Amino acid sequence: MAEPLRVVIVDDHSIFRSGLRADLGTDIDVVGEAADVASAVAVIAETRPDVVLLDVHLPGASDAGVADATGGEAVIRQSAPASTRFLALSVSDAAEDVVRVIRAGARGYITKGSSGAEVSAAARAVADGDAVFSPRLAGFVLDAFGAVSGETATGSDELDRLSAREQEVMRLIARGYAYKEVASELFISNKTVETHVSAVLRKLQLSSRYELTAWASERRLL
Amino acid sequence: MPSDWMGGMTTAAASQASADAAPTDAALRDAVPSDAGPLNVVPGEPASHGPERPPLARPRECAVSGTAQGLADHLGWRTTTVRVALVLLSFLWGAGILFYAWIWAFSPWRAGESAPSRRVPVAWTLTAAAGIAAFLTLAWVYSWGGPYSGPSAWIGAYALTTLAAVSAALWATFVDTVDPARGPRHALAVRLTVSGILAVLFILALAVAPTQGFAFLLALCSLVAIALVNSATLVAKWRELSGERIRRVREEQRAEMAAHLHDSVLQTLALIQNRAGASSEVARIARAQERELRAWLYDGEAPADSDLPTDLRDFAGALELDYPARIDVVSAGSSTERASGELAAAAREALLNAARHAGGEVSVYIEGTPDAVDVFIRDRGTGFDLDAVPGDRLGVRESIIGRMRRAGGSATVRPSATGTEVHLRFAQEGRRG
Repeated sequence: MAEPLRVVIVDDHSIFRSGLRADLGTDIDVVGEAADVASAVAVIAETRPDVVLLDVHLPGASDAGVADATGGEAVIRQSAPASTRFLALSVSDAAEDVVRVIRAGARGYITKGSSGAEVSAAARAVADGDAVFSPRLAGFVLDAFGAVSGETATGSDELDRLSAREQEVMRLIARGYAYKEVASELFISNKTVETHVSAVLRKLQLSSRYELTAWASERRLL
Repeated sequence: MPSDWMGGMTTAAASQASADAAPTDAALRDAVPSDAGPLNVVPGEPASHGPERPPLARPRECAVSGTAQGLADHLGWRTTTVRVALVLLSFLWGAGILFYAWIWAFSPWRAGESAPSRRVPVAWTLTAAAGIAAFLTLAWVYSWGGPYSGPSAWIGAYALTTLAAVSAALWATFVDTVDPARGPRHALAVRLTVSGILAVLFILALAVAPTQGFAFLLALCSLVAIALVNSATLVAKWRELSGERIRRVREEQRAEMAAHLHDSVLQTLALIQNRAGASSEVARIARAQERELRAWLYDGEAPADSDLPTDLRDFAGALELDYPARIDVVSAGSSTERASGELAAAAREALLNAARHAGGEVSVYIEGTPDAVDVFIRDRGTGFDLDAVPGDRLGVRESIIGRMRRAGGSATVRPSATGTEVHLRFAQEGRRG
């Protein structure tokens, strides 16, 4: 925690940007802001932040040459080679949009109604390489990977189903447990919980499971 | 189509009509059987004065229009008598036809729910007439024989065909479509048939035209008739198209409004919650508003019998207004559990407890698997010892644990340092067999 986290806020609402900037913790340094896809890509390339707080819906996706994508997705795809990590912020109802941004490479998702402290903590977690799962996203993942109907992965390299342990972790997160609480509940270390969550995120990003998009388009996260 | 657009005519007007008509028809009066009418009614007096006489109205199950039948019931005669009288009267300069049309136009249907049903296939009769007339036209044009030969004869037949064909189609379209015994398929068949007949006449007129110039006019008449016959379909199609367009415009407007509100109001509400602190009064109001707006924007019509997650979500929304709590409801799997069940009642009680005694963040997770429904309600309060709760406090012990046990499910309460979690479980087979 020695050096402050360098963060770029990308949101098309200036009120939200200034509000969030004022609310973030002191250990977070906002090095840039952007309001649309093109300027976001430029700012990210220029400042090379640790974390980008990225609104899912942004104007200018089609202008930037990425048609048929939400603005957030376009930003991630355009600045993919950078070492920057992305945290999606959304008031979105459409699970589809959130899942698309995550599949484009975002490390997690948090609602815009979250407090500044929550956003700061999530940004820290993302910067450390962890995944940020809200209870809703966990519930969605359980649903979409068929965990609810009893599907369990048999091998560790399987992308389309969750392992038994991953399901346990996701269930506890869906029940509102923080990572620390999950760890003590399952008698495993904090690090192991984070590993499981990251594994689930990876599956969410890479799986070609049909339900991921089908579920997402039918359901809403919020 | 007098029968239909005059259907709403009042009985008083109808009685007046018959009262005016009755004295003028000697034949009708003479035909009244002495024992048929009530004693206090002198034949020929206004019908409205006879209290036991049924009002002049046409029955919904009728031959053609119900006029003769309604008149017979009103006068207390047999229907056949009325029909014969009407036919005989028609020979007096068409008086019977006029009288029939008058009664038809001014008498309402009898009270009832069902659409009028006609025994006589009027449309097909007219179609047959058109067919016969068309055949006669053809015969006259090509043989020029018989006593009634010459252009005037076949032009007459031509006109008759057109008239009968158009009448048949209009009758089928406007009168028969509401008839439960016939309907739109019948109307379509009639329209196709008469269109065919009219098309034959059209070709005939074109064939004759080189030698007789006026046949062009006839061909034009046939075209107009065909258009008339099919106008109803075209009008319906056009209405459907414009309705579709209006719906699409509305949908677009709604989507636009949703997008706008999403970008402005929802963002602002999120910001208010963000700035005001999670469980402050302002944040709670903003959250409630956000939920309402969301429901209005995206949910559309809610199912009448809501499922468990929807019900708990609504309940949580109401609780958030009353208590300083932020309740997050997450659901996975498809639950067949209905909102009215015991599980829902117990879950609501647990939610109320969490909101009232713990406040702050409350998490609800509902998981519906094929063989069980699980509900977890977790708060971050200081927790309480279940055994320390006095026996007279019915909340937890009775409303949650007792209720679930009686319903065949289970409930466990797990207090811990970081909060309390209530777990309700309901095995599906247990109840559904």
